[in-house]
Amino acid sequence: MSIVKKSVVRLTPKNMQHRLLLAAALFVSTTAAWAQVPVPAAKQTKATLLTGATLHVGNGQVVEKAAVAFTDGKITYAGPASGFNAGGTSYETVNVSGKHIYPGMILPNSQIGLNEIESVRATLDQQEVGLFNPNVRSVVAYNTDSDITPTLRSNGVLMAQVTPVGGMISGSSSVVQLDAWNWEDALVKADGGVHLRWPAMVQAGDNSPVMAQRRQARQSSLNELESLLAEAKVYKDQKHDRENLKLASLVGLFDGSKKLFIHTNYGKEIVESVRFAHKAGVKDIVIVGGGDALVVADFLKENNIPVVYSGVHALPTRSGDDVYLPYKMPGLLQQAGILFCLDYDASLHGSRNLPFIAGTAVAFGLPKEQALSSVTLNAAKILGVDKQLGSVEVGKDASLVVSDGDILDMRTNKISHAFIQGRKLNLTDKQQYLYEKFDGKYKAEKKQVQ
Amino acid sequence: MKKVFLSVLVVAAMSLQSRAQETFPRNGVYDERSGLRAFTNATIFVDYQTKLENATLVIKDGKVVAVGTKVAVPQGAMVTDLKGKTVYPGFVDPFTSYGVPTPPARSFSFNSPPQAESKKEGAFNWNQAIRPETNAVELFKVDAKAAEELRKLGFGAVLTIHQDGIARGTASLVALADKRENQVVLLDKAAAALSLDKGSSTQEYPNSLMGSIALLRQTYLDAQWNAKNWDKEQNISLKAFNEANNLPQIFEVSNKLNAVRADKVGDEFGYQYIFKGQGDEYQMLPQIKATNAAYILNVNFPDAYNVEDPYDARRIDISDMKHWEMAPANPALLVKEGVAIAFTSADLRDKSRFLPNLRKATLYGLPEQEALKALTYTPAKLLKADKYVGSLREGMQANFVVASGNLFDPSTLLLENWVQGQGYKITETPGDFRGVYTLKVGNQPERRMLISGTPEKPELKVVAQDTLKGSLSLSGELLTMAFAPAKNGKESIRLTGWYTGKGFQGEAQLPDAQTVKWTALLSEAATQQAKRDTARSRSNNALDMGKLTFPFAAFGRTELPKAETVLIKNATVWTNEKEGKLENADVLLKNGKIAQVGKNLSANGARVIDGTGKHVTPGIIDEHSHIALDGVNEGTQAVTAEVRMADVVNHEQVNIYRQLAGGVTTSQLLHGSANPIGGQSAIIKLRWGQAPEKLLFEGADPFIKFALGENVKHSNRSPQYNVRFPQTRMGVEQVMVDAFQRAKEYQKAWASYNKLSKSAKAKTPAPRRDLELETLSEILKDERFITCHSYVQSEINMLMKVADQMGFKVNTFTHILEGYKVADKMKARNIGASTFSDWWAYKMEVKDAIPYNAAIMHNVGVTTAINSDDAEMARRLNQEAAKTMKYGGVSEEDALKMVTLNPAKLLHLDDKVGSLKAGKDADVVIWNEHPLSIYARPEKTFVDGIAYFDLEQDQKLQEEQEKERLRLINKMLAAKARGERTQNAAPSRRGAAQVLHCEDLSTEGEETFQESEYSQK
Repeated sequence: MSIVKKSVVRLTPKNMQHRLLLAAALFVSTTAAWAQVPVPAAKQTKATLLTGATLHVGNGQVVEKAAVAFTDGKITYAGPASGFNAGGTSYETVNVSGKHIYPGMILPNSQIGLNEIESVRATLDQQEVGLFNPNVRSVVAYNTDSDITPTLRSNGVLMAQVTPVGGMISGSSSVVQLDAWNWEDALVKADGGVHLRWPAMVQAGDNSPVMAQRRQARQSSLNELESLLAEAKVYKDQKHDRENLKLASLVGLFDGSKKLFIHTNYGKEIVESVRFAHKAGVKDIVIVGGGDALVVADFLKENNIPVVYSGVHALPTRSGDDVYLPYKMPGLLQQAGILFCLDYDASLHGSRNLPFIAGTAVAFGLPKEQALSSVTLNAAKILGVDKQLGSVEVGKDASLVVSDGDILDMRTNKISHAFIQGRKLNLTDKQQYLYEKFDGKYKAEKKQVQ
Repeated sequence: MKKVFLSVLVVAAMSLQSRAQETFPRNGVYDERSGLRAFTNATIFVDYQTKLENATLVIKDGKVVAVGTKVAVPQGAMVTDLKGKTVYPGFVDPFTSYGVPTPPARSFSFNSPPQAESKKEGAFNWNQAIRPETNAVELFKVDAKAAEELRKLGFGAVLTIHQDGIARGTASLVALADKRENQVVLLDKAAAALSLDKGSSTQEYPNSLMGSIALLRQTYLDAQWNAKNWDKEQNISLKAFNEANNLPQIFEVSNKLNAVRADKVGDEFGYQYIFKGQGDEYQMLPQIKATNAAYILNVNFPDAYNVEDPYDARRIDISDMKHWEMAPANPALLVKEGVAIAFTSADLRDKSRFLPNLRKATLYGLPEQEALKALTYTPAKLLKADKYVGSLREGMQANFVVASGNLFDPSTLLLENWVQGQGYKITETPGDFRGVYTLKVGNQPERRMLISGTPEKPELKVVAQDTLKGSLSLSGELLTMAFAPAKNGKESIRLTGWYTGKGFQGEAQLPDAQTVKWTALLSEAATQQAKRDTARSRSNNALDMGKLTFPFAAFGRTELPKAETVLIKNATVWTNEKEGKLENADVLLKNGKIAQVGKNLSANGARVIDGTGKHVTPGIIDEHSHIALDGVNEGTQAVTAEVRMADVVNHEQVNIYRQLAGGVTTSQLLHGSANPIGGQSAIIKLRWGQAPEKLLFEGADPFIKFALGENVKHSNRSPQYNVRFPQTRMGVEQVMVDAFQRAKEYQKAWASYNKLSKSAKAKTPAPRRDLELETLSEILKDERFITCHSYVQSEINMLMKVADQMGFKVNTFTHILEGYKVADKMKARNIGASTFSDWWAYKMEVKDAIPYNAAIMHNVGVTTAINSDDAEMARRLNQEAAKTMKYGGVSEEDALKMVTLNPAKLLHLDDKVGSLKAGKDADVVIWNEHPLSIYARPEKTFVDGIAYFDLEQDQKLQEEQEKERLRLINKMLAAKARGERTQNAAPSRRGAAQVLHCEDLSTEGEETFQESEYSQK
């Protein structure tokens, strides 16, 4: 972190040399101002050992006075400090006594890196034109140098599912880690999700022609989707002279290499869409949004459908709903035995609050460690990256954070260390820089007054 | 014996011209006839309360000549015997657009730029929605088809209004006769019409409800001024407005709240409106009664919903369900409260439901006499036309309805409608021949013959040894029937005949081709009761209704919670006073105030709440909110200081309750940020269930919203909006300077006028009162205070300099995301800040926003609050405050003050709320946990010592609500099974959770995930 020192340059207007000097000074400070995206951390070279903290594994277990060791980006030990044996390895040991170790959090269903400033069109790369774009890949537009990314890291969010929006099939998502030089380096799992936006069941207030038209339009787009999937299913076995990008991109849905993320909320649509996808032969289905997941809980359980639940920090959908329903939903989903994780659909810049929606869910009935799972291990499972991510367990990536206190509470969420694949992150961001710049200004002025 | 209806119809009279056309020359010989007629032996309602039996009505030249029981039939009169019939005065519809053109739909194009000025050519008003120069009488043309439709419902005269705009001009009372306009117009200017809907006006201002209200207010002032200053401005509209103001004022509103709102404007200028409502008045009975207005009611009762599907049924708001049940009781409930009502056929898509729905209203408790009054006398009286229509007195219009019996009896038919002495047949009724007859065919043995079914579809049964069904058809009084004399017989007896008055007779042909005479003598007419039973049984349980709730919305209570004396014992008490945080302390709430804070308190009769392990804090205050409003932005002009958020507070919005559930007790409802100088704020206490007026924070200083930055300069709107000044931050400064310059001149003009002596004043016209400039001069006089939406440092700095230059103060910068860059300058001017905890990056001007903003400003010494601008976030402002601990290390007590005491200071309310101190308002929250913890949740939220939110009560409320829903669902299913009409469940506009932000330009809420076909995220 650097604080720009104010150099006071007094100039006479006639003095050209001084003018140039000023220009140079301005240039330096501007450069400094834009050099706020921290440099990505270098590869782990030395074995690291964190000791003394409370370890929250991510799978529900908590280990007091724990030790976590990792080498070459992988976790080699995670358990009670008393049980750790260094063997012959020399560790860079960090005493984190009194602190807490957590898996790095994973943010599903996000436009991070695709959307810099919502209101400036030139900075938006999240939505293509057209109804069916399964071949469109989000990761190639993912901007590793977004100003937003560092603010997620410094709250403990280290991975994200970069997800396109729009149309009916928006495209495919990839899972990235949030500290990289370029998107290629950032990739954790490429093109693992196909995102289907389920058309809303039109609820006609009357039988007006507009409503009839909308119903018809819905049906015809569903018909189109049906034939698209049907053709994709047999595409692999066909001999084709010409490659069809759309069909090719859907093949993975039928062999289990890709998951179908269906974005929908209304109870009937959840049932309708899942049955539709099953009928089409899709293997792995995830519901995203899931506003009414609870009312169709049995259906979801029977069919083993996990949910990316959106909107904990949201108002109830219907005026008569329990005022706390959105806050209670994660706890209720847990009770219903549905595998779920949380996203932060409300806003991109607010995504750094992912731990706090999990915290809010705790206040309304979700057990604390399950709340942690809902932003770590469950997310990893649902995104298909739980082999390497989501919990602090031996063999997994050393993508974890150390917080001074409870990570789910904003009073104590203070990330002192964060590692992605063993790389120790620089946790500064542009906002801290601006803070220090102006805080420094006022403190200096205060001193002068004194 | 029931006298059957004789369709002796006076065809000749139907085309009678009974009113002379004095000034019109004739092509041919004059054919004026007096139309002298006498209607005898009738039951006549001379007016709604005077019923004469066996009476006679005499009419001539389209007017009533005599009516009474002892009236002699004049010589030469055509006589109609109306024995068994009932005559009512012709109904008067006080709200139609009969014969005047339908105003064009407001043309709206996404590609056309906003229209700042009126496009109406001529010396008219500046705003197109003010069109009092419209005279319906000049637009009116007789419309035979429309007249017939209205006559069928029983109307004889209607008020016709050109229903377009806010000031709609004058309306005419016209009779529904098919005559020349010159003859049917009864009163050319019977009333003036108003609304809050700008109608076809293409001009941008006003585009909000509060803008419409403000425009109406200013129009009254302008008209008053113009009357005395006609030499300064010729204005046809204002002149007409002044004239129209002497007439009865018919004010159309779209709901009960708007009636209450408009009534306030009326009170301000000394006018009592007559409201044309939407049938939901019962939902705010005391307030509606307090308007002292008469109400014109439609009978457009909603259909039941299709509720078979539980998922779909969920989408229906409980208030919509309850409204279905209670709407037919609206007229009765109003009348019971002493509110004058009149009925209109308006809003009914299917006009044939008018009479059935009217009868429904009587089944729901409206006395028949009151219903008749509301159809006849009241509308006439309201229009000051009771000398002409509404009863049947000598000299009045010969407008009357002939009914087959009691109007409110379901089996009664309207037979004829006479308008201006001209008769129109309504129902070509078949006679009612139902009953038991003795049938004698030739020499055959007597049979019993039964005619049953309905008069329209009579059914025939003939009983001898067996009961045999036969066929029967009637044409007027001619009858044809056939039946097989033996069971399973293939041969029939065929009969033809006519009605004799005592039965039928005629000729029959027997199976053997023999022709014989036959008679059927009525032995027993079907009883009235038997006929009625089918109709009545439907509504036996009409009055078995749910209870009214306060408010009439989800989470409304049947009774408001009451103030009580509450002693909270042994809690952690965050006083926000110099005592700081007290452990194991008590708080006593009494008479709506905090009586004591301390240890070991006791109080007689107090409800004691064990606060062990709990935390008590002052209620949360949201400095920046847009909940509970019907509209946020009147951003059509750069300066709209005249609009008032207090005009559009909506107490039914469930977000009020939801905020309480988050510990919020006070919210400042701000105008949006679409223009540099927005509207006046409303500061409310969240007294859920109270009417809007009672939500307003008593004695609060008035505030106003200013705004800077992207929203003001329309940066994020489509390009056609790039025309309104200002488009840059440069322009914003000039708007500010200009506005205050004008305000100063305005002040000066008034000051010099006010200085004049009484006699000089009498000679000098007063300056025009301008509500916009008046509001701005309040700021200059330190009587109104600015909350200014702002983001980047340049604009913040600018406004501070403009304020210095023009001599006013900025009270608060709200949002102020770059406040951290100019905190010292704010501190120097003692300007407060109300900011977001951590919002940024969603638009260009928040690129440099940082979550440390609050901490920096706080450390510099700026009074800093955290606000929501969002109905959801407002429910967890405690969490948002806690973020200042994370970002910048603010102490926990100071963090809590950012959502309690500091906003109270910014709103000048810290003497009443914001801390726990004896004497302050008992606005208190009990939390289960440390209030800044993510795990904290309110258990009780008190406002003025009343627990408007209580976790346990909330459970009960939800259970009751669920029960009520189920009761209504079952009732709807039953209604559907009976064959009543139904409608599909749809997300209710009314019930949808409204979430409005600064930038929202429309006020229509939507159910978040169901309205868009493809969601964007």
